Amino acid sequence: MPAEFSDGSEDHALSDLSDVSMPATSEAIATVVDTISDTLTQLQVPEQKRFEIALAVQEALANAVVHGCGNDPSKQVRCRLQSDPRGRIVIIVTDPGPGFGQNLVPDPKQRENLYVDHGRGVYLIRQLMDEVHFENSGSEIRMWKY
Amino acid sequence: MGTAVDGLRQTFEESIANGDIYFVLNLAEVVMIDSSGIGLLVRFLASTKQRGGNIKLVQPNKFAVQTLRLVGVLNLFEIFDDDDAAADSFN
Repeated sequence: MPAEFSDGSEDHALSDLSDVSMPATSEAIATVVDTISDTLTQLQVPEQKRFEIALAVQEALANAVVHGCGNDPSKQVRCRLQSDPRGRIVIIVTDPGPGFGQNLVPDPKQRENLYVDHGRGVYLIRQLMDEVHFENSGSEIRMWKY
Repeated sequence: MGTAVDGLRQTFEESIANGDIYFVLNLAEVVMIDSSGIGLLVRFLASTKQRGGNIKLVQPNKFAVQTLRLVGVLNLFEIFDDDDAAADSFN
């Protein structure tokens, strides 16, 4: 299903910039994040935007590895980097897991959560990216940066 | 993330087991801090504060500061320009 933007347009005519599948390991996350950062550098994406995309991708991949794959290195996570004719960038991370209740993620800035050692990943992604959509019950995340 | 966070976790656990409660953490070479790193920092900050100690951060880059601010934990930490100033702040 095409993503719908706040301006009413849809994600037609997307161009693939990279499409990789990786084993569900933390080492593979670093490699994929580095690859995407290099691609964004080649596209002359500004440093601030590169950082925000890279961190969001890292968080999404970490969620996929830990929650979607249960840290099982025999399972695969797919990460696609695409752009549209307006230069907007989308990253799609897909894992084989059952998904999760993304609307149940607590606000990490609440006083009672400040010292909790988990639960910030999805919040960070939503702060760093311009549009975030979950598909397939949460086993796929589409993150847009304008 | 991954081995970096695991290594820091082990260092913290061993140090706290040895009775250390004052920590200076130099972040000058940390390019990016993610949610797992933040979770580790706040967990051990709570642990050291419960023992009367603290964790002071030195030279986090602008992206690390931005990330800590985004999740609302920047104000939990004191930040310094160099290790000596951070260490002196415990006196």
